[in-house]
Amino acid sequence: MSEAVETTMRMESAGAPPRLSSLARWSDRNFKWLLVAPAVLLILALSIYPLLFSLVVSFINYDFQVPGHAFVGFKNFERVIFDPVARWSLVLTAFLSGASVAIEFVLGLAVALAMVRNFRGRGLVMSILIVPLFISPVIVGQAWTLLLQRPFGPTNYVLSQILGTEVTISWLTESPWLYISLIVADVWQWTPFMFVILLAGLTAIPPNLYEAAELDGVNAWQVFWAITVPHLAPMMLLALTFRLLDAIRMFDTIFIMTGGGPGTSTYTASFYLYTIGFTQFHLSQATAGSWLFLIFTAAVVFLLVRRLLRAEVT
Amino acid sequence: MAVAATRPRTRGRWGIPVGRILLLGFFLVFVLIPLYWMLNTSIKPSDDYLAVPPVWFPSEPTLIHYEAALFTYRGLDGLINSLIISLSATVLSALLGTLMAYSLARYNTGGQHLSFWVLSQRFLPPIAIVLPVFLIYRNIGIYDTHIGLILAYVVFTLPVSVWMMFAYFRQMPKSMEEAALVDGWTRWQAFWRVAVPLAAPGIVAAAVFAFIACWTEFFFALLLTSRDAFTLPTVFRAFIGFQGAQYGEAAALAIVSLGPSILLGVLAQRHLVRGLTLGAVRG
Amino acid sequence: MNDREKRDFQAGLAEEVDAFLRGEKTRRDFITRFGQMTGMLAVSGPLLASMSDWALAQQAAELADPGTPLGQAQAAALAASTEGPADGSAFRAVEAAKQFSGVTLNMTSEAGLQALDPRNFSGPMWQQLTGIGSNVVELSNPDQYSKAVAEHIAGSGAFDVLDISPAWTPSLADGGVIAPLDDYIAKYMNMADLDDYHPLYKALPTYKGKIWGFFDDGDMFALYYRKDIFEDPKMQEAYQAKFGAALGPPKSWEEYTQVAQFITDQMAPEVYGAGHFRKAGSPGNQFDFLQQFRANGGQLFDTDMKAQLASPAGVRTLENMKAANAASIPGNNELDAVSLWAAFLTGKVAMIYSWPPTGRMAANYSQSATAINFIPQSQIAGKVGYAVVPGNPEHATGFNKALSADSPNPEAAYLFMQWVTSPPVSLARVMLPYALRDPYRLSHFKSDLYGALFPGARDYLINLNNSANVGLLDPIMPGAQDYFLSIDRMCTSVWAGTDPQQALETAAAEWNDTTDRLGVDSQRAFYEEFLKLPGSTADNTVEKLGMAVKLD
Repeated sequence: MSEAVETTMRMESAGAPPRLSSLARWSDRNFKWLLVAPAVLLILALSIYPLLFSLVVSFINYDFQVPGHAFVGFKNFERVIFDPVARWSLVLTAFLSGASVAIEFVLGLAVALAMVRNFRGRGLVMSILIVPLFISPVIVGQAWTLLLQRPFGPTNYVLSQILGTEVTISWLTESPWLYISLIVADVWQWTPFMFVILLAGLTAIPPNLYEAAELDGVNAWQVFWAITVPHLAPMMLLALTFRLLDAIRMFDTIFIMTGGGPGTSTYTASFYLYTIGFTQFHLSQATAGSWLFLIFTAAVVFLLVRRLLRAEVT
Repeated sequence: MAVAATRPRTRGRWGIPVGRILLLGFFLVFVLIPLYWMLNTSIKPSDDYLAVPPVWFPSEPTLIHYEAALFTYRGLDGLINSLIISLSATVLSALLGTLMAYSLARYNTGGQHLSFWVLSQRFLPPIAIVLPVFLIYRNIGIYDTHIGLILAYVVFTLPVSVWMMFAYFRQMPKSMEEAALVDGWTRWQAFWRVAVPLAAPGIVAAAVFAFIACWTEFFFALLLTSRDAFTLPTVFRAFIGFQGAQYGEAAALAIVSLGPSILLGVLAQRHLVRGLTLGAVRG
Repeated sequence: MNDREKRDFQAGLAEEVDAFLRGEKTRRDFITRFGQMTGMLAVSGPLLASMSDWALAQQAAELADPGTPLGQAQAAALAASTEGPADGSAFRAVEAAKQFSGVTLNMTSEAGLQALDPRNFSGPMWQQLTGIGSNVVELSNPDQYSKAVAEHIAGSGAFDVLDISPAWTPSLADGGVIAPLDDYIAKYMNMADLDDYHPLYKALPTYKGKIWGFFDDGDMFALYYRKDIFEDPKMQEAYQAKFGAALGPPKSWEEYTQVAQFITDQMAPEVYGAGHFRKAGSPGNQFDFLQQFRANGGQLFDTDMKAQLASPAGVRTLENMKAANAASIPGNNELDAVSLWAAFLTGKVAMIYSWPPTGRMAANYSQSATAINFIPQSQIAGKVGYAVVPGNPEHATGFNKALSADSPNPEAAYLFMQWVTSPPVSLARVMLPYALRDPYRLSHFKSDLYGALFPGARDYLINLNNSANVGLLDPIMPGAQDYFLSIDRMCTSVWAGTDPQQALETAAAEWNDTTDRLGVDSQRAFYEEFLKLPGSTADNTVEKLGMAVKLD
């Protein structure tokens, strides 16, 4: 590669295509492979190799408290499958990610529709709206904890004032409020993501379609369903795919806001695996669990991403 | 603007779009409240923590929480590590991503399989690979080092960099590069001297994305660093568990880490927006 | 690219998005600006780093005014290290350590306050005495375990001295993370200093017949209550009228809940009867449950190592804890240790049981250190009484100083541990206003200097000593982390509405699972080993064994 760079340099001074050395010719022939090589090698080294490694670990004993690395068959997988906490964490992950993404989608679409027209101060509003995207989820969790945690947080006080009756909700330890708190934090952070993508999609819809519809006297609701939705569909798919696949890895806000509690009621799949692997150090069990989780995720990835890519490539 | 002329809307008596203003107003408040309360908490003396009604404007603001967060809890070290690691990983990720994306977009390298494979990496749960990565790192001695976390972050951000640049290159007309090739330039020259400068906005957008991803990342940093290379988000571990609620310190640290984020947000806003729409907008 | 192509290309991007790009100059400008930004940050990085190094650079030990009790204790520590007596552990450690001058020891510490002592006081003083530097690595409490393990797996030799919970000793010892001290002790220590530990604490670091660390933090729970409320004639009268008994510090857990409810009924919302730290992951749940469960006669395991949580004692404990929660300050179940302190110090809560710093904070002594700024000023100074927790108080965690088996400088590390825990030096440390280290040696409890630290300090020390006489230890065995995690989950799920019996059964099943995983027979051996320690059960306290220390 450096050879090629040098070649470029020489060419610059000569002002005309120079003769190529044999190495340069070889690299020119294999150009496309040379370009992908560094990235592919890195991914192989730090992603694929670890995955295979973890497959091995999941069939042996690798536990800080139990010495030795004997082959244990499917025992690690059994421990996960028969752990009620594991099953609950999967259900919770599906619920939390589904609910969060759905709300983010609706809210993001609404805000995008409201923002599509230009108005004074739109730039400023836009700048503020996308701030959450730049913030670490850990800090988002911390910020909401500060707002919600009793008795420090002001939320209950404010609600009491507004509603005129005393509100005593334990936002972080009381079902169902703690799920709502987690979803609110997620919505706060990720609605801007939906909003930006959908806004871009909205503005890409050819205006003449709307003009035609207006001439036909179609009402706004029908326009929305007949023009906006179909044209926005690819963007919707993109936004939903990316968000959903991120949301099912939800960990950081849980870690800060509830620590998985009360009981195991806010153990998401990632938090469950983290707890087993890195607070209890049952490393091989955590690895086996990761593989099971990976298989679940892969199913979703195949469904959504294949579709997304096909839309992209064709 | 004809687009919006037919948007469904509710107008009040004076032609003011009430619904829209309400919605945006509500959402703005929703976004700003946690930020405000965090700022407020960070300068509030601890005597005010449990006051009823809550103290909205501390009468005697203080910076002691910042001092404690930055020095006692080593937030400053975390901030510096975060900058070093995020910037390095960003540059590498944008570079490698651009190389690969160009190959995929122009030469259809590896067909759909390779591009699918790369993108699917994006959706690999980190928990599935972090343990082996941890074990490998300890074996080759890069556990708790900058370089270790940088490499992890490059891999972690590469799929998106590739995906965004892939989309960008596909939108770019080929004619200039083809002309260069006809003139006898090598492929590398056509790429480096023609395609890359044209793609600069896309590269910047991809870099912004990679930076945000690294800057906000918690999980890898939690498990792959310890006393030396720890990043800012991991400092928040000190505020959960035993000693718990050091609200002011936590808030002060959060505000500190917002600085670079918001700076980047202002500087790079349009790249962020363009980046998010890459791969979805087709000409 | 000609203009037409350019237009087509641009048109592909949405108009609205391009509004954001309008400020765009040439592309090269972008790269330049991006490069400049990167460069700026890269340059400012090292600059900031050197700044923070400077800020963190260890200066001379921070010494208190020599006229104060603390100043006198610090002077005594220094004198004992430099002048002797020559057979004192402090003096001998310093003398032997001088050969390692120039070495730097990496030591873990709980993040924040706990780290201030090694950073500002004992670390710099040790360096001044021996030329051995110290680097304090701050970790959250769970990380003090997990990072130690991770570093050991990584074989990095990153740590020399570890601050660990005594409960972790078996895991860390069997895992090869920490090294035994017996040979060093025989070589360097004055044995009389081992006998200076309170009997409850003396045996704590012993495991499989070896000594795996030095006990260094007397984390005994004690009851702190508002004398002005408990002794208020009106309150006394009302209590007498309602229950036919005198209002005073409760002697049983049921009485505790009754008193808490009574005060709440009388005084809320100004003052609530009690408060607890019950947040998930905040260790209040495990400590509270273990102390009440054992005071109620509960056994942890039967002879087959089957968990005995799901028993009448377990139900009684959880039901009473639930009732106590209901009688407490709103938000009780979301408090952690610090927010509970804040509630107590601002006068919102009449009675709490917690770690010993409670007494120092209530007297407004701790707040004389700026580092304690996250704690409000005490509005209850002079109004606080001390009592032993009903039944048996939990010795909630504590800390051992342990020697990392991977330490590149084990001898220097050991000598630091011996010096820092020696009677005169440790006294000066537990007296620091910002210290979260609590008295644990008999010489601490008897210290006149400590007794003069704040009004009521002598009673406070006596109460801590008396608490240790009847105190209970956290179970010390492999898997302790897992057992504790199950208890925390069990308690918090009950607070969230799960039926206690069901929660107890879930936790018992988790305990059995943990025991099976670690091997029933080996766990039984560990448990039997633990049962030999004074304070392992309510029938086995220091007092019941006839070893109680009487101070008054």
